[in-house]
Amino acid sequence: MRFLVYVLSSLLAGIALGHFYSPQFGNLYEVMLYLLIFIIGIELGQNFRLKEIRKLGGLAVKLPFGTLLGSILGGLLASLILGIELRWGLAVAAGCGWYSLTGPLIAQYSAVYGTLGFLANLTREIFTVLVYPVAIKRIRRELAVSMGGATTMDTTLPIMTKFGGSDVALIAFVHGFVLTAVVPFVVPFILQF
Amino acid sequence: MNIFIPLLAGLLIGYLLRKKGRRVKVDLPMSAALLFLIFFMGVEAGKVRINAFWLLVSSIVFAALTIAGSVGIALLMGGRR
Repeated sequence: MRFLVYVLSSLLAGIALGHFYSPQFGNLYEVMLYLLIFIIGIELGQNFRLKEIRKLGGLAVKLPFGTLLGSILGGLLASLILGIELRWGLAVAAGCGWYSLTGPLIAQYSAVYGTLGFLANLTREIFTVLVYPVAIKRIRRELAVSMGGATTMDTTLPIMTKFGGSDVALIAFVHGFVLTAVVPFVVPFILQF
Repeated sequence: MNIFIPLLAGLLIGYLLRKKGRRVKVDLPMSAALLFLIFFMGVEAGKVRINAFWLLVSSIVFAALTIAGSVGIALLMGGRR
């Protein structure tokens, strides 16, 4: 929670500075992006174990890909409703809640849609925290995990463990883990079109 | 530079570190890089005129529909189990 405050403070400070002074930082933005992607790669390389995911069974493997597909379909509908070009809308949606990656990746091409990618995915995370405890009264607990997207391995994991139980925690972790491995490839892929 | 190059380089280094039984803690550098990145993203966003209301409404629509889409597909998959 405290880190979320730091994140929002950084964003607001940056917007204020950019709005009032328009400073030029050269390619520092890109350097930071590549550094972050590189660090994410190291983290994935150290932790990703395909065998452990297989042990959990069919649903744990299928669910993340269903989440990604559903997210993209939702993004398609949102793009049509809001009149946003599909390239941006699908990239925003493919972020699956990972705002800190999606926003900067899209911002390489468009500052406006980068900010939308950031805020839309941050809103998804906040909605998940608010809606998951209510949703599991009507939806199976392990299926409702899909609403959290890639965040279910870290920021929304506590809420799912608390309300869904420890058996849901493992599925939620693997769900978020698989999406965390997939999203850094899918969003840039969509942006190439 | 293509985004996949640092990602694959990181994956390879992380994998090699794991194979050697060494582990590097990346939490702190990741948090620092992330905060700088978001700050610079804010700077770029601040330079252009953005309709705040449009941004708010669009964010809510995207969040709601991506959640609905994901849960919808999950229900279809869960029903066939």
